[in-house]
Amino acid sequence: MRKIGPVLLVLVLVLTTALSGCGQNQSQPDKTDGVIKIGAILPLTGPASATGVKLKYAIETAQELINGEHPEIDLELAKTAGLPNLKGAKVEFIFADHQANPEVAKSEAERLIQNEKVAALIGCYHSSATKPASQVAERFGIPFVAGSSSSAALTERGLKWFTRIAPHDGMETKLFFDYLKYLNEKYNAGIRKIAVVYIDNEYGVHAFQMVEKEIQNYKADGFELVADVKYPANVSNVDTEVQKIKAAAPDAIFHASYIGDMTMFVKKYKEMNVVPKVVLSYCGGYQDPQFVKNLGKDADYFAGPNATTSALFEKMPVLAKINEIYKAKAGVDIDGPTLEDFASAMVIAEAINRAGSTDPAKVLEVLKNHEFAAPYFVSGKIKFGEDGQNVYSASVMTQIQNGVYEAVWPETSQTKEPIPAFPAWDKR
Amino acid sequence: MLLQIILSGILVGFVYSLVAVGLTLIWGVMDIINFAHGDFLMVSMYTVFWLYTLLRLDPLASLPIAALVTFVLSFLTYKLIIKRVINAPGLTALLATFGLSLFIRNFAQYLWTPNYRFITTSLVTDKKLEMGSVIIGIPQLVAALGSIMMTFLVVWFIKNTKTGRAIQAAAQSRDTAKLMGINTEKIYAVTFGISGACVGVAGALLATFFPIYPESGALYSLLAFVIVALGGFGNIAGALYGGVLIGLSEALGGFFLGTQFKYAIVFLIYLLVLQFRPKGLFGW
Amino acid sequence: MNVKNFRIDTLYGILIVILLLPFMNSNINFRHVMVIFLIFAGLGEAWNIITGFAGQTSFGHAAFFGIGAYTSTILFYKFGISPWIGMLAGAVLATVISVIVSYPCFRLKGHYFAIATLAVAEIIKQLFISWDYVEGATGISIPIVEESVTSMQFHSSKIPYFLIAYVLFLITTMTARYIENNKMGFYLKAIRESHEAAEALGIDTTRYKLYAMMVSAALTATFGTLYAQYILYIDPFMVFTLEVSMKIVLLSVLGGLGNIYGPIIGAAILIPLSEYTRVYLGGTGKGIDLMIFGALIIFVACFEPNGILGLLKKKRSRRRGDVYARADA
Repeated sequence: MRKIGPVLLVLVLVLTTALSGCGQNQSQPDKTDGVIKIGAILPLTGPASATGVKLKYAIETAQELINGEHPEIDLELAKTAGLPNLKGAKVEFIFADHQANPEVAKSEAERLIQNEKVAALIGCYHSSATKPASQVAERFGIPFVAGSSSSAALTERGLKWFTRIAPHDGMETKLFFDYLKYLNEKYNAGIRKIAVVYIDNEYGVHAFQMVEKEIQNYKADGFELVADVKYPANVSNVDTEVQKIKAAAPDAIFHASYIGDMTMFVKKYKEMNVVPKVVLSYCGGYQDPQFVKNLGKDADYFAGPNATTSALFEKMPVLAKINEIYKAKAGVDIDGPTLEDFASAMVIAEAINRAGSTDPAKVLEVLKNHEFAAPYFVSGKIKFGEDGQNVYSASVMTQIQNGVYEAVWPETSQTKEPIPAFPAWDKR
Repeated sequence: MLLQIILSGILVGFVYSLVAVGLTLIWGVMDIINFAHGDFLMVSMYTVFWLYTLLRLDPLASLPIAALVTFVLSFLTYKLIIKRVINAPGLTALLATFGLSLFIRNFAQYLWTPNYRFITTSLVTDKKLEMGSVIIGIPQLVAALGSIMMTFLVVWFIKNTKTGRAIQAAAQSRDTAKLMGINTEKIYAVTFGISGACVGVAGALLATFFPIYPESGALYSLLAFVIVALGGFGNIAGALYGGVLIGLSEALGGFFLGTQFKYAIVFLIYLLVLQFRPKGLFGW
Repeated sequence: MNVKNFRIDTLYGILIVILLLPFMNSNINFRHVMVIFLIFAGLGEAWNIITGFAGQTSFGHAAFFGIGAYTSTILFYKFGISPWIGMLAGAVLATVISVIVSYPCFRLKGHYFAIATLAVAEIIKQLFISWDYVEGATGISIPIVEESVTSMQFHSSKIPYFLIAYVLFLITTMTARYIENNKMGFYLKAIRESHEAAEALGIDTTRYKLYAMMVSAALTATFGTLYAQYILYIDPFMVFTLEVSMKIVLLSVLGGLGNIYGPIIGAAILIPLSEYTRVYLGGTGKGIDLMIFGALIIFVACFEPNGILGLLKKKRSRRRGDVYARADA
């Protein structure tokens, strides 16, 4: 009777050992058995799970294209079943949930690499999760391709095994100012006063730091920062925030917000009659098609960089076909961040195919030196620089006009001309 | 400008109050911390949302239905879970309700996906009152008025009905109430149900202007904890005034000290007030 | 039956089993679970001193955890000072802060105190989010250096992390045991049972509560340092969050409150359960893992309201046929 405590404890721990043991046995594939595993770490539960689940659909779309035969889509891997250079080996994406928690991201990265023997990792959407997860990849010498994590800090760490598709927030900020300059010059929009509204977390704060830095280079163009409003990461109302913005009466508002808070802001702008000339949003809430669905007409005239828009489907047949497959799963059109994660899945598969093996060194060699065709992006191609950043900005400036994300800038990919002014809220 | 901020703060505060009234009831009567309180709020918002989407029912029209749904849900929570832990030491009930919260939240994600949803058109959407430079959104105004009405309804119920008086008796001493022939079992279940109905109403009122997603209740329940403690456990008037005080301090503090601090200020106010009133504003 | 003997050999048995486990299974995920298990079991032990023994419910231990994590990280990141010194500094700082915040809070009783600790932790979290010197919301990636004991960074194996966690856990458990079996422990339990009665007996309640809080805070902070060194990245959302505070509370309650075995048993169940449900079901993106997790917590709470330890005690007393053991459950 004395030993019942330890007996129970041993029982529990042995059970868990056994559990984790079988996890290991299940997953010791010889790399020749025709399945190549790639780990995808995403926020599948918690506050950002709405986006995480869509990223999962996008990656599943990529898996379907790679493994099935889709001769109608003009992509290297879509036409053949599996990876042709690896005897038609199939690619399997193993999904893991990081719950927006860096600790979990790290442990999932380790598990995927050591237990599941994945050849590469993609993810993680949250920059705070991508940081530790890519550290793990670096330590094990496994390529990591980030899709939509946008913090510039990620590619400033000098990691050898890290690459990223999406433009980082520094590039986005530059794009914002160039766009405003363009509006001022071409449409005489008279934009001077800028307010930055951002969420109080890694994403928002970093975006604001980039604005502070970048605005120095645009002083000559007359831009000035008149307000910066930081709001808590979990917010029950944005009344006070909007009062502050209204008091500053900015011409342009830069938003670093997620879909929930962004929508609350727009409703409050309307209620409080805040009428700026331009609202530009970092990759986040605005890019989510739910934004238009939830706000209807009120979503018009908002703008932001986006890797894609449904208005471009006509111009880009490949994108339209990818969207068909995606939409069947997700029920909505593919959006920017989602397409970037789709791209990360395609690029890593293509790199493995071109390397002809899953040997990490060879795959990295291909990733760093080759250029990848990306007919689903406006830029049409992907190439990683020394620091791992995709040198071609995958984004175009979009503006919602009549409920459609229209590409408005640069002029070469324009589907509609930009409208550099908001009409009064009651005159829509 | 200042008037505008004060008004917005008060309106927000009344909704906090209603959420807190539900919480303070069971806290005061049963000494149970219900971690799933905010999740009942979320369930109510989804109820309203689905009635609106599938049957085109206006959120205000479906308010009684939402209240009924959360009443039943709360009632069942008591019967199935709380009943078993009410006599357990200290924090066991907390453990149970935490598990429940986790379950409800993820069940919502399982059933309805984690997407953010909004009710785009309703009787009150986009309407507003303009008085000079002061603008008041009708959804917020209706929510505040609804909260006040519901709070008074609860107060009236507790003061003037037989069941209400039994609740008061059970709150003061469970054993004495039992000796007096009160079926405490039934009283507790009803109290839990009323608490649920309170968040049900609050959820329906919020649904017209707040995003609906599986985690929408989380922040409200955290604030409700503070408001309940600020007002004094089990004190409905305390919860009402506490809510308004929190709404105000959030708005004013946020405006003058930086909006990122608005919830930190709320917590600071709590700590300060309790230095002078260790049992809350209305505690005894 | 000699109660003291029973305790000693049970505890040593448990400690030896824990020490051997990671050497029996080299699976990286299993070892990770063991490290996290030890960290949280240790946090539970530290929390147990103030809440389990002294009856002062703290919902804010994440504050001390975060202070430990940030102190060592800042010292290493800005000045290159070894995390071991940072660990001590963090423990000292956490102790000081615990005194500053607890002194006014101890006037509050019961839930008022609990909510106050929660409020303090949330305020400290917001301060760290907005504090540029500690990099605010962007968090700190701890610079990777060569693995060594002095840098407290180990890249090739988890065993050193496990051993450090084990030592910290051992120190914490032994401290808790020492307090439990000495004068202070009896004072604290007297305070828990009745504040007024304890004062009537001449116990300086504020002083002993303060001692308990200081010890608890210092021990909690050391785990913060280890956690930061283990993940090699920290931000305020990850260490100061209410989730950490609640996890500590939950696993201790699950195991059994006010007993040094409680947190160990609670962590041994809760941590592997949350890890493995996520590993096996988390990839579906439907939240099934957390649903099951939540349902199991409800189940345990409903059918064993005294924690797992209550179940064991009940069994033992039933077989022994005496009522004595049941009374102390």
